Amino acid sequence: MATSRRLETLLDHGIELVAGVPCSYLRRFFAACEGLPASRYVAAPREDHAVAIGAGAWLGGRLALAAMQNSGLGYCLEVLTSLHLMYRLPLPLLVSDRGEPSDFEEHRILGQRTRKLLELFAIPWRAATLGEEEDEAAWLVGTARTRCMPAVLLVGKGVDV
Amino acid sequence: MTRAEAVALVLSRLTPEVLVVAADGAISREAYRAADRPRSFYMLGSMGHVASIALGLALSRPERVVALDGDGNLLMGFGNLALVGGLRPSRFYHLVLDNQCYATTGGQTCLSRQVDLAAAAAGCGYAWARRCGAGEDVAAAVDAWLSAPSPALFDLVIDALDPGPVAERIPLSPEEMAERFRDAVSATLAAE
Repeated sequence: MATSRRLETLLDHGIELVAGVPCSYLRRFFAACEGLPASRYVAAPREDHAVAIGAGAWLGGRLALAAMQNSGLGYCLEVLTSLHLMYRLPLPLLVSDRGEPSDFEEHRILGQRTRKLLELFAIPWRAATLGEEEDEAAWLVGTARTRCMPAVLLVGKGVDV
Repeated sequence: MTRAEAVALVLSRLTPEVLVVAADGAISREAYRAADRPRSFYMLGSMGHVASIALGLALSRPERVVALDGDGNLLMGFGNLALVGGLRPSRFYHLVLDNQCYATTGGQTCLSRQVDLAAAAAGCGYAWARRCGAGEDVAAAVDAWLSAPSPALFDLVIDALDPGPVAERIPLSPEEMAERFRDAVSATLAAE
């Protein structure tokens, strides 16, 4: 069965449900999610559904993680603003960090503005580094829970462990 | 049947432990006015996500979950039908208050006039899906829906326009709504 240190550390820090849409930068993470029981991983049809599932889970007492490619963040703005930010609901997000100059055209326009987009809505973010998975999971879950809002861990190329 | 009558009828059929997610706009306001209950969550925005929020709840709680959806709302988040029909959660009851228009914003045309929402739900894997039109015994149809296997979608066609005054905005802050719901869910009910 596929294993992912990223997923393991997030589960250790209190993530009870993962909902998301896969990204090739997060292949290992999603492969490990596929091994979770059906009640703990939801393959959503679009990223905003995953975010809304996270809101419902929190209202029901469980902490969910939404995982996606950064291109999906655009779909999520309405839900993040009029649900999570407005009602003050925690939501850790694992988002791929695509859009570097060598990346394909379709990833560049939104990808190169991911950080600005998050900062525009004052959503805290941090970029993942190899070897820091434990600390990053603690930061991601802790920030979302203590500030009662979304928080984002950006995962670039080669940090999907 | 008006939207207000339909919302009041459905809420009167629910036991206290049932978890309700009410769609943004008039549906939430009517639900609050007809029978506010601590286990009802009122959406103010995020249109199109009634069933996704309800699904997150259904994956986290053992109680029955009722999604009070609208036709325009469901069409905006049509992927919800695949999500719910594909995952087939137990105790998931999906109601579409179908006035065939965008009533909250003034009655503009909606594609639900052409699209059979119950057939779409059945095609996506709902265990039970049907439409209830004018002239049918709505109370009996609501009871049949609530006794059906899960997930069950009931497309209830209602009047396009409500003659009564539009319900006022809910006098709770969003934060209060979420906290109240979470507190109610974490407390044990005698009915459980």
